[in-house]
Amino acid sequence: MQRRNFLTLGAVAAATAVVAPALQAADERKAHPDAWTAKTVDDALKALYGKTLADAKEANVTVKTPDVASNGGAVPVDMSCDVECESFALLQDVNPESCVVVFDQNDVTIPKNSVKIKMKKSGSVYAVAKGKDGNLYYGKKTLEVALGGCEG
Amino acid sequence: MGMRIKAKLKGDVVKVKAMAKHPMMTYDIAEKKTGSRDNANFITHWDGNVNGKVVFDASTSQFLSKNPIVKYEFKAAGFKKGDKLVMTWVDLKGKKKTGHAKIK
Repeated sequence: MQRRNFLTLGAVAAATAVVAPALQAADERKAHPDAWTAKTVDDALKALYGKTLADAKEANVTVKTPDVASNGGAVPVDMSCDVECESFALLQDVNPESCVVVFDQNDVTIPKNSVKIKMKKSGSVYAVAKGKDGNLYYGKKTLEVALGGCEG
Repeated sequence: MGMRIKAKLKGDVVKVKAMAKHPMMTYDIAEKKTGSRDNANFITHWDGNVNGKVVFDASTSQFLSKNPIVKYEFKAAGFKKGDKLVMTWVDLKGKKKTGHAKIK
């Protein structure tokens, strides 16, 4: 897999170096830096999991948002997965970059999360889980955004 | 305080709702409002542990909302009411903030 490194910000590397090693928490920014500069869902998934949506099963993952988000600066998203997974990510296809958040899983975490995200305009969110069985599973939700939200 | 955390033990699951105080300024907003993308700053990593055991691990982007909220759950086995949940976030500029709450 060719790694094209778009990162020019030394600040990102500096920030990841501050994470306390004693916690033994994973850090997807260190592990997969390309995922955070990828502009499309497939490029982000390739960087994170080595696969694209075409390789994933649209099953076992639920992602919910309002059908119409009144405030694109704070779109509520609920995501959950009912298979054992190593990683659970939220992406979208309208912002400058695609990856929103990646929840790393261990033996006690449960892949069920709620967050509020920015969406620049109407489009789709994708919750993608990397199963312990090596497969990718995803759920997709398309929504309208009344007032675009990357402008704060 | 920087972080507000509520952790509740319900059956065999601990449910957590956490909010961090952070502008989560995107590159585009930084450029538009300050003239420089270098002023962008947002939480890049957010985690939680109980007695040293990691119960939450999120790598995050500029696209979480301002003053981001997250809800998560973890298995309660081995944890009990009164245990302390400690959460830490780190941002792009390297600032670190820790908050904690007792599991209720």
